[in-house]
Amino acid sequence: MTIETVARDVVQRAPPTPVAAFWRAFSENRGAVVGLIVVCLIVLSGVFAPLLTSYNPLEQYRDAVKLPPVWAEGGSWSHVLGTDPLGRDMWARLIFGSRLSIFIGLSVMLVSTVIGVALGLIAARVGGLLDTIILRLMDLIMSIPDLVFAIMIIAVIGPNLVNTIVAITFVFLPRYVLLVRSAARVELTKDYVTAAKVSGLRPLRLMLTTVLPNCVAPLMVQAALGVSDAILEAAGLGFLGLGAQPPAPEWGSMLADARDLITSAPWVMAMPGLAILITVLAINLMGDGLRDALDPRLRRS
Amino acid sequence: MLRFLIKRLLLTIPTFVALMFVTFIMLRLVPGDPIEVRRGERGIDPVRLAQLRHEMGLDQPVWKQFLDYASGILHGDFGTSIVSKTPITHEFLTLFPATLELSLCAGLLAILLGVPAGAFAAVNRGKFFDQTLMATALTGYSMPIFWWGLVLILFFSNTLHLTPVSGRVDLVKFYYPQHTGLLLFDSLIWGPKGAFFDVVRHLILPTIVLATLPLAVVARMTRSSMLEVLEEDYVRTAKAKGLSPFRIIGLHALRNAFIPVITAIALQIGSLLAGAVQTETIFSWPGVGHWLISSISRRDYPALQGGIMLIAVVVISVNLLLELTLGIINPRLRHDN
Repeated sequence: MTIETVARDVVQRAPPTPVAAFWRAFSENRGAVVGLIVVCLIVLSGVFAPLLTSYNPLEQYRDAVKLPPVWAEGGSWSHVLGTDPLGRDMWARLIFGSRLSIFIGLSVMLVSTVIGVALGLIAARVGGLLDTIILRLMDLIMSIPDLVFAIMIIAVIGPNLVNTIVAITFVFLPRYVLLVRSAARVELTKDYVTAAKVSGLRPLRLMLTTVLPNCVAPLMVQAALGVSDAILEAAGLGFLGLGAQPPAPEWGSMLADARDLITSAPWVMAMPGLAILITVLAINLMGDGLRDALDPRLRRS
Repeated sequence: MLRFLIKRLLLTIPTFVALMFVTFIMLRLVPGDPIEVRRGERGIDPVRLAQLRHEMGLDQPVWKQFLDYASGILHGDFGTSIVSKTPITHEFLTLFPATLELSLCAGLLAILLGVPAGAFAAVNRGKFFDQTLMATALTGYSMPIFWWGLVLILFFSNTLHLTPVSGRVDLVKFYYPQHTGLLLFDSLIWGPKGAFFDVVRHLILPTIVLATLPLAVVARMTRSSMLEVLEEDYVRTAKAKGLSPFRIIGLHALRNAFIPVITAIALQIGSLLAGAVQTETIFSWPGVGHWLISSISRRDYPALQGGIMLIAVVVISVNLLLELTLGIINPRLRHDN
C-alpha cells in the first residue's frame, strides 16, 4: 500500500461536514423531503406569480362570473381553476395569496424568534426578579387562548395585514421565550460556560456566542412549526374578518367570502382551504424532519 | 400537598391582576371617545356628556377607575353590555353552557379516540396502521378547522342531508324547558320525544370539527409517550411473567404513559376554547365564541372586555384544577422548580 492510497482512504473517511450530516439525517425522513419540495414549490409560485398567470388577482372579469374549474361541467381553459362570484380568477388569487401567507408566516417567525431569544436569554442569565416578571408575563399571555388574545389585540389596533402579524407575534411569544429560557438555563450549568466565564467573556458575548448556538436546534424546530401555526392563525383571523381585508387575496378571507357559496360554487370555498391545508401540512412535515435531523433526543420514534 | 396547593393558588394572583390591568387598558386604547365607544352613541350634548362621564366614573383619576374596575370584577361585576344593556356575567352564563357542552363533547371524543389509537399505533410501530394514523394525525394537526367545518357541511348537510347546518336544536319542532343549558341533559329529561336525537344530530358536526386538533395532538402524544414506556424494564418483566398483551398494554404501560398525555390534554383546554370561536362561527352555535366575535362587529367593547376576562378566568381555573389533579397523581410534580 503506497502512501498515496492511505492518504486517499483517510480523506474519504473524513467525517461529513455538518451540513452533509444534517442533510443525510433529514433526507432519511421521506415525508420531510416531500414537505420541503412542496414548500419550495409554493414559495416559487408566490415569487413568480406574475409569470404563472396573465390575470390580475384583483381584476373582476364580469363576463366570467362563477365559472367552474376546467374539469367540471361548464369549465373553460381560460380560467383553469374557475372564477369567484365577482369574476376574479381563482388560480391568480391563490398564487398571489401564497405571497401573503408566506410573508405573514415568515415575519411572525422572525420577529418572535428575535424577541423570544432576547427575552429568554435575559431571563436565563439575569434571573431573579426580572426572570419572575418575564415568566409571569408569559403566563398572562398563555392564560388567554391564542386566537382570543389575537382577537382582542386586533379589536384595539384594527384589522389589517400588518396588525395580524403584530397580534400573532405577540400571542406566539411565550413558546419562544420559554423554550430559549429553559435551554439556556441547562447550558448555563455546563462546564464550557463556566470556562468561558472564567476566561473573562463579557455576559453579552457569553450569551450570544457561547450559549445561544447550543440552543439553536430546538429553536429551529419551533421556528419551523411557528411558521405553519402563524399561517393557520392568520387564516383563522382572516376567516373571522379580522385579518387582511378584502379585496386582498388572503386565503382565510377568501374562505369567509365563500361561506355562502358552498352549494352554488363549492370550488370557491374548497380551493383556498386546500391551499392552506397543503401549505401547513408541508411545513409541518418538514418540521418533523428537522426535529429528527437536528435533535436526536427529541426524535419521535 | 397543602403547600403545593397554596403555592399554585398564590401564583395565579399576579397573573389575575395583570389580566385585569390588560383588559382595563384595552378598553382605553380603543380609538375614539370613551363615552362614544362605551355607549355606542355619537354627538351627545355636553350636559348629558358630563352626566354620563360622572355616571361611568370617567371623571375620576385613572388609578381610581382601575381600582373600581378591579373591585367590580372581584364582586362578580364584569361590566354591562352596550347593546343588550344587561350585565356581561349574565350574558356569559347564559351562553357558556352551549360552549361547555360542545367543548366537553369534543374533548371526550379526542380522548376516547386519540388515546386508544395512539397506544395501538405505538404497539404496532412502523406498521401500516401506525403510518396511516400518524399521517392522518399530522393532517388533522395542519387542518384549518373553519374550512374543515365548511367541507363537512357541504358533504353531510347539503349533499347527504344527514345533519342540520346550524344551531343546537330545532326549536320549532321541539320546545322544552332548558334548565341547565346543557341541551343533551335537558332534552333527555324534560324534552319531548325525539328532542334528544335532534340535539345529538346538531352536535355531531361541530364536535368533529372542534375535536380535530386536540384529537391529533392526543394521538401523537399518546403514541410517543407509549413508545417510551414500552422500553421500560417493568414492561419487559410483565412480558416475561407471561401476562396477556392486553393486560400489559392496558394496565401497565398505558397507565404510566398517561401522565404526559394528561398534561397535553390540559394544554388543549385553551385551544378548545379558541377553536370554539371558529367552530361556533361556522355553525352559528349560540355560545361564547360566537358572541365574542359578534360583539366586535357590534363594537360592543365592554362585552368583549368582560368576555375575554371571563374566558381567561375559566382557562386559569381549569388549568389550576388539572395541575392539582396531576400533583395528586404524580407526587414528583409537586416538587418541581
